[in-house]
Amino acid sequence: MTSFVGILVETIVLGSIYGLVAIGMTLIYGTLRILDMSQGSMVMIGGFVGWGVLVVAGWSPVLAILIAFVITFAMGTFTELISVQPLMGRRGFDFEMVTFITTFAVAIVFANVALQVFGPFQHNVTPVVRGGVDVYNRVNLSYQNMTMALVSVGLMGGLGLFLARTRWGLAIRAVAQNLDAARLMGVPVMKLYPLTMGLASALAGIGGVFLGAKFFAYPSAGDLPLLEALIVVIFGGLGSLSGTLYAAYAIGLIQATAEVVVGTTWSLPILYAIILLVLVVRPHGLRGTPSEARL
Amino acid sequence: MSLAEAQDARIGRPPKLSGGQIGGILALVVAIASVPVIWSNEYALGVLITGMITLVLNTSWNFVLGTAGVWNFGQLAIYALGGYGAGLLMIHTPVPPVLAIIAGGLLSAAMSVLLAFPTLRLYGIYTSLLTFSFAQVFQFIVVNDPKGLTGGSFGFPTVRGLYSFLSPRASLDAYYWTMMAVVIAATLAVTWIRSSRLGIALRTVRDAPGYAAARGVSPLKYRIIAFAISGFIAGVAGALYLSYNQSITTSVMGLTPMSIDVTMLVIGGLGTIWGPMLGTGVLTGLQVGLADYPGIQLTILGTILLVIVVFMPNGIVGLISAIRRRVGAWVTEGEGEDGGGDEDRAEAEETPAGVEETLGAELPS
Repeated sequence: MTSFVGILVETIVLGSIYGLVAIGMTLIYGTLRILDMSQGSMVMIGGFVGWGVLVVAGWSPVLAILIAFVITFAMGTFTELISVQPLMGRRGFDFEMVTFITTFAVAIVFANVALQVFGPFQHNVTPVVRGGVDVYNRVNLSYQNMTMALVSVGLMGGLGLFLARTRWGLAIRAVAQNLDAARLMGVPVMKLYPLTMGLASALAGIGGVFLGAKFFAYPSAGDLPLLEALIVVIFGGLGSLSGTLYAAYAIGLIQATAEVVVGTTWSLPILYAIILLVLVVRPHGLRGTPSEARL
Repeated sequence: MSLAEAQDARIGRPPKLSGGQIGGILALVVAIASVPVIWSNEYALGVLITGMITLVLNTSWNFVLGTAGVWNFGQLAIYALGGYGAGLLMIHTPVPPVLAIIAGGLLSAAMSVLLAFPTLRLYGIYTSLLTFSFAQVFQFIVVNDPKGLTGGSFGFPTVRGLYSFLSPRASLDAYYWTMMAVVIAATLAVTWIRSSRLGIALRTVRDAPGYAAARGVSPLKYRIIAFAISGFIAGVAGALYLSYNQSITTSVMGLTPMSIDVTMLVIGGLGTIWGPMLGTGVLTGLQVGLADYPGIQLTILGTILLVIVVFMPNGIVGLISAIRRRVGAWVTEGEGEDGGGDEDRAEAEETPAGVEETLGAELPS
């Protein structure tokens, strides 16, 4: 029972953070039809912003989240403008493949600039909130983890409201549904794309502040979250927001269980094996829509 | 261009080389082969050998990524597997190194086929995600090394290698010529396969999957064969890397080498014959040039990758054939002949997206 509650607590915490990082990725795929490999570097940048604001400047955690939001939003917009916008509307190459490579190139540059500026060392980030509460029989839920889960869920809810209720949210959904029709209705697609990518990057950036506080801030801090976000979005089905959410918690559950039952070393391979099985049965993930006919 | 030539180009036979072109290529081969005799700079030879090992890997990757059009980003894991497999054989069994290297290639081919089954059920971006995470997980397992087989991140125990009986200098020369032979063999094999029935089937499945399926070409069957061939070449490259360095570490995998190799392929031109050579040559030269600035090396490489892909998404070879196409069209226009259409189509076959360019108007995307 004790380990069961432990697994449950870890599931909620891990799932919420995965959800935050992965939901941006699926949002970008849904609207722009590109797989943004720079999403991991946004997590890394968020981690360093958290370190800078909390440790170096000693300001409040709320400020850290706000600054991370602004900086990673700007970085995401910038990434879109240099790596995706110039390729828009040109023909004669595979757009998905080429943008996969260009955003990957941006990620390489970000990671190596960070390596030059901050060095390869792990920087300790002070916990956002201290203390914790005993949930059940010495299973401790730190306020830090609780805050992370709550803020992540809040942000995802906020994103949902933004998409459902605002004009820009409507425009994003329209583009995801049918690009040509949205254009004909006068949706400013060329402004919408940087906005979408900025928004998604900002979510990953906030996730980065949390992950930095949970682990460390270092130049390759984005690699593992990127891999996990990739697994989450494949599992959930690219472009499906609800699928991504289910997948984030499902994968949090699998990983937390594997960590408790067989240890950390094998949790990633086991996770991978399970995803493999799911994909062999459902090639478009849990909620993805088959975009091409099976031949 | 005569009708027969145009037809040859359309079904993808290799262009018939003139006597002069064959002579030129032979002269180039002799010139490259004589480098160790004329220029006995050991550092330069080492760079060239490593460059050629990378070229073999890139040739195999280009085959599956460009010619077969499967977005396989797990090739580095396959490459490393060949190295580790051959290394374990060399340490624990008395088999001669040559057989161990071939066995490494076969092991990689087997793994590649195993990877192909789940991968080929997926499309496009899902394929790249799955293979990419396969590579990451493979690296993760090797680094954490549950059974003590791989030495983890500290590296593999030293092996004898192919030429341990020669003096260091003689073995360097031997490796140089061996790698040259392997590069030529791999390039010829891939070029030949590209224009064989198998290659035509692969390119049809890549460019017009619906048409291929309607004509009874099985995507799964041909792509699994492509994975096997590509895996074998990559595994041999990995085993040769191990043999030359007498060890292998997990640093051959991961994001950094992957970004460098992908940059090489994309800069050269994916799916072309000369692309991997040009790309590997250009980037190896750049890496040597930037060797004194290790900190900013990857930043510069990343920037170059971004700029080149944005300005010429089909790489150097794609750009050259686009220029040739335009010049050709301009020349025929000047002569007032109506032969532009055939030429366009023939040249377009060179680039991966070429068919889309000519058929794009008719196919719903």
